Amino acid sequence: MSGPMALGAVDPQVVPTPGAPVLEARDVAVGYGGVRAVDGVSLAVYPGEVVGIIGPNGAGKSSFLGALGGQVKRSRGHILLGSRDISQLPPHERARLGLVRTFQTTSEFARMTVFENLVTAAEGDSGASLKAVILHPRRTHLREQELSERAFGIMERFEMTHTADLYGRELSGGQRRLVEIMRCLVRHPQVLLLDEPMVGVAPHLTGKLIDDLRGIAADGLGILVVEHALEVVRRLCDRVVVMAFGKVIAAGEFEEVVADPQVQAAYLS
Amino acid sequence: MEGGSDVGAWSFYITTLLVYFVVDALSAFSLNLQFGYAGVVNFGFIVFQAAGAYVAAVVTLGPSGGQASFQQYILGSHLPFPLELLAATLAGAVLSLVVGLFALRRMRRDYQAAVLLIVSLIALQVVSADVPLFNGSNGLTGVTWPFGQLFGATATGSPFLYLGYAAIIGLLVCLGVIWLSRSPWGRSLRAMRDHEDAASAMGLNITSLRLQVFVLGGAIAGLSGGLLVEYIGAWSPGAWGYAETFVIFTAIFVGGVGNYRGVLVGTLLVPIIFLEIPRFLPAVGYPGLTDSLEWVVVGLAWMLCLLFRPRGIIPERRLKASLHGSPREPAPAEGSA
Repeated sequence: MSGPMALGAVDPQVVPTPGAPVLEARDVAVGYGGVRAVDGVSLAVYPGEVVGIIGPNGAGKSSFLGALGGQVKRSRGHILLGSRDISQLPPHERARLGLVRTFQTTSEFARMTVFENLVTAAEGDSGASLKAVILHPRRTHLREQELSERAFGIMERFEMTHTADLYGRELSGGQRRLVEIMRCLVRHPQVLLLDEPMVGVAPHLTGKLIDDLRGIAADGLGILVVEHALEVVRRLCDRVVVMAFGKVIAAGEFEEVVADPQVQAAYLS
Repeated sequence: MEGGSDVGAWSFYITTLLVYFVVDALSAFSLNLQFGYAGVVNFGFIVFQAAGAYVAAVVTLGPSGGQASFQQYILGSHLPFPLELLAATLAGAVLSLVVGLFALRRMRRDYQAAVLLIVSLIALQVVSADVPLFNGSNGLTGVTWPFGQLFGATATGSPFLYLGYAAIIGLLVCLGVIWLSRSPWGRSLRAMRDHEDAASAMGLNITSLRLQVFVLGGAIAGLSGGLLVEYIGAWSPGAWGYAETFVIFTAIFVGGVGNYRGVLVGTLLVPIIFLEIPRFLPAVGYPGLTDSLEWVVVGLAWMLCLLFRPRGIIPERRLKASLHGSPREPAPAEGSA
């Protein structure tokens, strides 16, 4: 991995200044009818950092992630990628700027091979345009070869090269998770949002995936992960944010957070 | 069945079937691009073919004679080849753009399908009732073939010539569709089809992609309508009921969604062979029963296909990494543990 780099021209605004967060949520709220799923959550993720979000079911974790990714509509608040406010942008524009995500249920492209999953994600925007395909076939072909190299590079890193020609639907649950993560990483994002990445992953592979994610973060990527398995959070995350009833009730290092009486009460209630 | 004086009835019949095959193949390729590749359930497909047919008709019929004439219509003119086909193509594209802008808004696919079906029903009612538009339910007749006129030929008088003309146009367009489907753009469509949210989260503009494939498909539908009307010489609301869309859908399902060879097989089987068989059955029961069997055949074919071969006769082809022109080959598969 050669460090964070968005495809094509990188918007200088989304590259964080030294010491500044790469992703920042300010007072973000999400409502479903009369229900406030997320109620004024603020947090920051710094380059190279893995931040975990934990909390009981219904705490608003996935809704918050959806608000960051643009899949869920915010009712208030701001989201900044680097110094750029991306609150009003649709999901694909956020992705193009370097904010990518996985989903709670696996979201591989089931009738496409693993290779195609990765190449599609890698090209994302300009290479896939109808105009480019028709007017610049030579350039498109060269770009395909470049993207193919990147796809194989990421498959090698995750030891998934042998699955290149398998359809997404032919993979095991754990492999599907890996494909989702590889699909994000092949875009060379600034920020990676992971929604329960360990669900379906075989226990013996969990440790490897944690090591991989730590390695990726060490390259300078900011990772925000929603996870239920506390042992995974302890090993993976630098900091932990605890949510309950749509609000942040505690934040800090894992050990101090889980010892917080408020957190224990939230989990027991 | 009436052929030219120098063409036997059977050869005229077979040639006519082949012209229909070309038109249906164009329709099926277009719908397969929309549905098989992009996941857009266009239950209003036939409207865009009809738009092309009407426009190709009026731009070749000459100025309308108004109410005094036996048929009245808008946009009457004498456009030469290939402008009349371009006009038909443009009509399909523009109508698709207009319909797509409201029917393909971000909502569930089944709702989009319902909206498009309703568009199909409304369009049929409007065109049937609004006589000054395209002569209402009586439709338009006397449509000519501008390309044939260059040689003094008529479409039905020179069916082999017309078949060659339609086949060349059809072949070029179908090859273009296959090329686009295998391009990175086609791959983006398949990603959108498989998981819209994930595709969007990877940087694909779903709204734009959906509209692009809808308009492109509409343009091809319009072209197919233009080719058909120049051959049969007439077009009326009876030719484009909403059920016609389901014939094309059945062809795609039977042949194989997402596979153009399968689509060709399905086009040969469903709108050509299956729908022609009832014509040769002896008349039984009340008048019209045999004709109605066409729809029973279509419905049965679709149901049996979904039950016993849901991916069709020739399923979607796996595009291996090497088929994408990748300079690298994957390591041998060790199974999918």
